[in-house]
Amino acid sequence: MVLPVVVVIGVLVLLPLGQGLFFTFTDINEGNIANPFLDRPSTYDVVGLANYLNVLSGEPAYGAFWATLVRTLIWTFSGVFFHYVIGLGLAMLLNRPMRFRSVYRVLLILPWAVPAFISAFSWRYLFNADYGLINWALESVGLPTPVWLGQSNIALVAVIIVNVWLGVPFMMVALLGGLQAIPADLYEAAEIDGATPWQRFVHVTVPALRSVSNTVILLGVIWTFNMFAVIYLITGPNPNTRILITYAFERFFSGATRDYAIASTYGVLILSVLLVFATVYRRALKRQGEVW
Amino acid sequence: MRRRTLNAMSVMGLASALALTACGSGGGDGDGPAAVTFWDTSGPAESPVFARLAQDCGEAGGYQVDIEQVAFDQALNNYRNAAQGGQGPDVFRAEVAWVPQLAENGLIQDLSETDLADPADFLETPWSSTQYDGRTYGVPQVTDTLALLYNRDLLDEAGVEPPTSWAELAESAPPLGGESAIFLNNDAYYALPFVYGAGGDLVDTEAQEILVNSPEAVEGLTTAKDLLDEGAAQTALDQGNSYGNMKAAFVAGDVAMIIDGPWAVAELLEGDAFADPENLGIAPVPGPEDGAGNSPVGGHDYVIRQGSAATESAQDLIACLSSTESQITVATELGLLPTRESAYADPAVAAQPIVSAFSPVIERAHPRPWIPEGGELFDPLKIAYSDILAGNVEPQDALDEVATIYQDTILTEYSVS
Repeated sequence: MVLPVVVVIGVLVLLPLGQGLFFTFTDINEGNIANPFLDRPSTYDVVGLANYLNVLSGEPAYGAFWATLVRTLIWTFSGVFFHYVIGLGLAMLLNRPMRFRSVYRVLLILPWAVPAFISAFSWRYLFNADYGLINWALESVGLPTPVWLGQSNIALVAVIIVNVWLGVPFMMVALLGGLQAIPADLYEAAEIDGATPWQRFVHVTVPALRSVSNTVILLGVIWTFNMFAVIYLITGPNPNTRILITYAFERFFSGATRDYAIASTYGVLILSVLLVFATVYRRALKRQGEVW
Repeated sequence: MRRRTLNAMSVMGLASALALTACGSGGGDGDGPAAVTFWDTSGPAESPVFARLAQDCGEAGGYQVDIEQVAFDQALNNYRNAAQGGQGPDVFRAEVAWVPQLAENGLIQDLSETDLADPADFLETPWSSTQYDGRTYGVPQVTDTLALLYNRDLLDEAGVEPPTSWAELAESAPPLGGESAIFLNNDAYYALPFVYGAGGDLVDTEAQEILVNSPEAVEGLTTAKDLLDEGAAQTALDQGNSYGNMKAAFVAGDVAMIIDGPWAVAELLEGDAFADPENLGIAPVPGPEDGAGNSPVGGHDYVIRQGSAATESAQDLIACLSSTESQITVATELGLLPTRESAYADPAVAAQPIVSAFSPVIERAHPRPWIPEGGELFDPLKIAYSDILAGNVEPQDALDEVATIYQDTILTEYSVS
């Protein structure tokens, strides 16, 4: 009775994965791939480890892999950190009896409901250095007006801000669910024992949220690591905001050579990084924070 | 040639392309010729004229024409995706640099054996853009180049003439209010007047050599950076907003000059500063010395998709759209430059102010390399040029890196100068 499962998993997951892995050992691109519509046979060759050597050499011509990896990690962890902290703060604010609570909750979920590309384009107009609302506001209170989406690391800050704005609602909803599942008598007991609000937060709320937090942080890391739309739609192929996934896309699709081989190599490397992270993270959780 | 930034329109273009690929290119339904799907990549101010022409051609020829508006900066990608899957338009308006690339990948039809392959009346440079490997793959629609567009009122008020050299431009900047003299778009195509003007080039296809980091090219881009440093020019350092901000500043009268092509004129004339069209002046791009300015040849060709089910009607449509008569309509109504000698002979075209202003500029414009990789040379250059103008990298270092990228990933057979 396992046969259907095996077949489905094989066709939907393993076969494409294996094909992608095979492409990383070839020089496949748009020009030499087989195309039945154009009656063209495939003419690509196996080139061994050349793609991996080119990418891992860190050359700018192949996306400066190591610098890009570091930028991807900065992007991922700063994004998830602010998602979690702000999401938890908002969830605690909403987890109290007050008027219009459901209205606030709906409003806070709104960014999540807007399609990512619409948010991205709106933010690009907001960030416009000459005509944008953000610089207009900064100027009117006498603050300096940076070129948000220019050729500098400020562009990375700008896309992180947008990503945080987009990701907070999910964290908030997930953590609010977790908060509401904590029995009220735990807090009452702590209060009777004379615990301060901070002590109640550290000793009741945080441990009770642990399983929800662990899951949403793992999900957040994987999503942010591969968050393509925000970066590419706001800054385009700007090397100062390039992360692994946007470079893979540039090589696969955008104006330059449709180099399927290098793009697949990036795909395999991204998968490897995430697998290593997920393994270490799970292990750390199992052993209460101690990895090895 | 238009290099535009991603904008909301491109998403609409993408959506329409997806819708189109979903329903296919529609074969004939038994009687009558098949409907022709035409992907038009022209701008919002131009497309109504092309749409009307295409409809008229269809009615006269007895076939249906479905016009799809596709955003220019998404069109090549959409076309490649669709055509590789045996879908897409029958007739496509392709930028000149795309033609050899599409021909090499087998995505457009070889028209050498058809009536369309008749160079007799066409100007030499636009016609050469349709040739690949000795075969004809397209028919020239319009040609264009970059020129110096200026606001006559602002220049008159400041008492300066349109500059013919970069030094003159720098001198005329103080009376024009310093950096509001000129707005430089930090995109690759707009770097070419500086590179060509200084005697440089991106590649030498004859000698198979990469020239993008040659001393001339470095000097050219240094000139651009110097204009910014001297306070004689401004640029939008955020690349994605650059082209839009340039046009906005120019039509608002905030800058006196920009460098742009004839495709922009129809849109510029809708702006406040040019309510009186006479106020828009057009002059050749300045150069290192008087009259040494040089800008790239651009333009568009009509091509037919490989595997199109409506080849015959598609050929009819192209013949009709590229006829002298159609070119005269386009030239007189939009000011786009015809590709046929006979169209220039028409008095109405000769009298059209935009055409007559651009014609002398196009005559000495610099041809681009018609190689399959020609269109791919821009992405790395765009990043380098905006880095240079932002002051992040020295021109020599930035262009050395571009040369490395060209050699490693685009032109692996070429040597670096």
